[in-house]
Amino acid sequence: MSTTARATLAQIKAEILRTVRNKRFVIFSIIMPAAFYFIFTSTVGDNTQVGGTDWKAYYLMSMTTYGVIGASVTSLAVRIARERSQGWTRLMRITPLPGWAQITAKVAGQGLLNLCIILFMFLIGALVKDVNLTALQWIESGLWIWLGAFAFMSLGTLLGTIRNVEVVQVVGNMVYMAMSIVGGLWMPTATMPDLMQTIAKAMPTYQLGQGAWSIVGGGAIEWMGVGILAAYVVVFMILSTYIIRKQEAV
Amino acid sequence: MAVAIQLDNVSKSFKGKKAVDSLSLTIEQGTVVALLGPNGAGKTTTVSMILGLQQPTTGSVKLLGGDPREISVRDRIGAMLQEVSVVDSLKVAETINLFRSYYTKPLPLDRLLKVSNLEGERNKLASALSGGQQRRLGFAIALAGDPDVLFLDEPTVGMDVSSRQLFWETVRAMAGRGRTIVLTTHYLEEADSVADRIVVINNGKLVADGTPSEIKAGTNGRVISFTAGSSVTTELLRAIPGIDDIEWSQNRVMLKSADTDRLLINLVKYGIEMRDIEIMSGGLEEAFQTLVNK
Repeated sequence: MSTTARATLAQIKAEILRTVRNKRFVIFSIIMPAAFYFIFTSTVGDNTQVGGTDWKAYYLMSMTTYGVIGASVTSLAVRIARERSQGWTRLMRITPLPGWAQITAKVAGQGLLNLCIILFMFLIGALVKDVNLTALQWIESGLWIWLGAFAFMSLGTLLGTIRNVEVVQVVGNMVYMAMSIVGGLWMPTATMPDLMQTIAKAMPTYQLGQGAWSIVGGGAIEWMGVGILAAYVVVFMILSTYIIRKQEAV
Repeated sequence: MAVAIQLDNVSKSFKGKKAVDSLSLTIEQGTVVALLGPNGAGKTTTVSMILGLQQPTTGSVKLLGGDPREISVRDRIGAMLQEVSVVDSLKVAETINLFRSYYTKPLPLDRLLKVSNLEGERNKLASALSGGQQRRLGFAIALAGDPDVLFLDEPTVGMDVSSRQLFWETVRAMAGRGRTIVLTTHYLEEADSVADRIVVINNGKLVADGTPSEIKAGTNGRVISFTAGSSVTTELLRAIPGIDDIEWSQNRVMLKSADTDRLLINLVKYGIEMRDIEIMSGGLEEAFQTLVNK
């Protein structure tokens, strides 16, 4: 194996270690979504019908999406901001690890963690709550959430350009919570007034959730949703590239 | 001897203000060079340009014969930079191993732990280390790839005395094995004892370049001091050639001179009453102050 390949793997391992040792990550991305899932399925009722499916299946998708987005936005943003503020990014630039390998490692590491969150939530749903989906529905919805989460990493990168780690922590959580609530991950958009429903549809959080809700409801993913998510990625990436360029142009 | 670092007429401006001004410098492989200068003289900017972290406004920089941004060049260098903290949530050995993985011929982990004196801390979280220990971890990381050229930007800030000693011993041993070392430091006695060559920068310009003894001799020469007899007066001494400066402290007189050997002969020739004669070379500190205050 080449040095770069070996180094990239070591980097992925380091990214994962750093994240799972972070208590905030464990609380916000694993414990909270699971706890919310139990609380809201027992208060609303497991088998209440929402969007053509059982609430316990619908809400499993909501909370899995919620957890994965939190990890991709907040914990990634804080990690990036911390590296930058501690001069770590500067030191990495004089090592032989190419810049693209560092980015690949970040994205791949976060991708693996997201996969674990999805598996964990799905296991809770299937084993504890007896959520009944076909094998194809499990795979499709899991894969959709997993792939869609990569879009939110671009938002995490954008927030990571803020220089102050504490500010990133607060802003990251605020953006994440607001987008999750407005996008209908906490409570279905069907319970919202008309205006809020229209706003919800513009949220990337809603679009990611919608794909999964649609799959468990027996429908398919809408290309419109994919388009909206892709548009967000482009905007976030352009913004963060622009900001990083400006910050480094001294 | 092969050239490790070459700066050709390098200038760097920040918003129209020149931080480095037409600096030319060639550093041969195997030398230990200390870059000295007051705060804001352009030392860190110079090091950043040699490392490829900043690009010169004009002029060219070559490191090991290539562009410092090339991967093959970066594989052969290591650096302790200023204002770099440790990565969060990784242990000491994990951090060192991560850096070892980047290089084609890394040094063994145990050796790196030993030279940084962190053997007892290998399983501690890097963020739990003291400031001095974190600097030593930075040193281990800089050495991880067994570099041919090592950059040390204010390396001993925050280290205690014994860490500092071990640190310079290791650096000296490395220099003996043909490594090129570029260091900046505020502690002039460190530069004096470690460097083969001292380059003084002020206002972005090179103001002196030479071995530590050349720098010391070239600027303020040496001092002859003695306890003067009652017949000795300032007027009497003024008549003697070769004295640059006369200073009294009670009945002891200090004479600065570029050539103390000749002056001593002259003092005897003129029949000056002297007891307890001492000849001292000026310190690097004094030489440095003279250079940067010109």
